Amino acid sequence: MGKRPTGVAVVGIGITPYHKRGASPDAERKLLLKAIDAAAADAGIPASEIDGFCSYGADVQEGTRLAGPLGTRELRWSSLVWGGGGGGSAGAIAMAEAAILSGHAETVVVYRATAESSSGRLLRAVSQGVFGPHYAAHGVDSPAQALGLRTQRLIEHDGIPPSALRAIAQACYHHAGKNPDAVGHGVDLTDEKYESSRWIVEPLRLFDSSRENDAAAAIILTSAERARDLTDKPVYLLASAIGADGPKWGELDENHEPYTSSSQVSAGRRVWERSGVTPSDVDAVQLYVNFTGPAVSALIDLGFCTAENAGEFLTFENLIAPDGKLPICTGGGDLAEGFLHGMGNAVEAVRLLRGESSNPVPGARLCLVSGGPISELSSAALFATTDGR
Amino acid sequence: MTGERNAAVEFGRRVDAPYWSGLAEGELRIQRCTSCRRWAWPADWRCPGCGSYDLGWEAVEPVGTVFSRIRTHYPFVPAYADLVPYDNVLVELPQAGGARLIGLLTGGGARIGDRVRGTFVAASERTAGLPVLTWTKES
Ligand SMILES: [Zn+2]
Repeated sequence: MGKRPTGVAVVGIGITPYHKRGASPDAERKLLLKAIDAAAADAGIPASEIDGFCSYGADVQEGTRLAGPLGTRELRWSSLVWGGGGGGSAGAIAMAEAAILSGHAETVVVYRATAESSSGRLLRAVSQGVFGPHYAAHGVDSPAQALGLRTQRLIEHDGIPPSALRAIAQACYHHAGKNPDAVGHGVDLTDEKYESSRWIVEPLRLFDSSRENDAAAAIILTSAERARDLTDKPVYLLASAIGADGPKWGELDENHEPYTSSSQVSAGRRVWERSGVTPSDVDAVQLYVNFTGPAVSALIDLGFCTAENAGEFLTFENLIAPDGKLPICTGGGDLAEGFLHGMGNAVEAVRLLRGESSNPVPGARLCLVSGGPISELSSAALFATTDGR
Repeated sequence: MTGERNAAVEFGRRVDAPYWSGLAEGELRIQRCTSCRRWAWPADWRCPGCGSYDLGWEAVEPVGTVFSRIRTHYPFVPAYADLVPYDNVLVELPQAGGARLIGLLTGGGARIGDRVRGTFVAASERTAGLPVLTWTKES
């Protein structure tokens, strides 16, 4: 299967319950510490043994601030992937890989926590400076609007049928229906329910949109060699990549070209080249779905379909476990399990490959995780049940 | 979508300050490299084409074509809340190297590819204290 395994594996995952935004009983750092503790317990190591910390996108929970309460014995790595929103969510995994393979660190945690009431994350940490005067002066000040502009062109100019967006939303809610921990559990997203849901920003409806939750998630990576001693079910990282396909940084961000791209073409290409895997080999994708339109762009850019056949390929039947051609977001994903800037997707990838998902894909060996479509920078990480040798 | 953190920067020192002062004077100005003549948008300090730091501004006619559009129903921006649902268009300016500007569409009815014309509107509380262009479909 593989050409060049990275030699890095996930040994532990930890995730807290998803709370409605602003409703977490715990402060943000407390939530995060609990998630890291859970991941360490899952890996069978003391949390103080973690020596590397990786996060992304304006995180205020710096590794150096976690070292105190975790009792970190030796902090060897602490880094942030720049770029807005969840663009770096899989990129933080790439950074962990770099730290481990270069020998800078041995046991690295990748994480995200959000608790609006204690950090004001969405209002301050994440949104601060995102939309400047060019936007605000014209009544535009939210990701839904900026991504709505790209989605409209995707539909009206590129010819993507709106049914593709609906299929993504329905697949996510279908999977959430079998995941008792999902915030979208119990929502039967029929065609009628979807079509009659209110507009947020045309062409995006309520059910096309993720809503941030209070929660925390963490995954712990180490060398594949050491992983085999720690756990009988390591999940191997086959490749990871960070990319930015020609964006022009700035608040007149609407001048990106290609405009409707997810900015994942180059990252996707490098993941396939490094791993020797092709999109058709992949058993499931934990797809970053901030809104359904950018998710379509991501699937095109990562090579799972083309703009021409997206309408034909992106159907509910194709996108669900266990039998779809490409099950996506098997826990319910950002739309329906809970939105944690993409970190829930990495956790679900590990669960799926360990056979612990609420929506198993029988015999699944390869699972891709994508990060943040249509942000300045996007990322991808490919996980596998074997090390590819 | 990340912009500069504007609050710390005196507005007149922004790289795009001439754009805003142009609008206040009834002129649409787009940045252009003085050395290689390449249009530079969004405005920045260095020409990506030739590396020059000598960038000027040129006035162009406020007409363009709709590159994309949205209709906002949720009142994300308090100053615009009384207008919901309202339309925004992203307008491409072929006469300025394809620079794209976002603005409010008045009168509705514009689709991608339609020709629109800009109207200079004075600064107000709604527009965050900035002069703006609003756009209408040309019949
Ligand atoms: Zn130049």
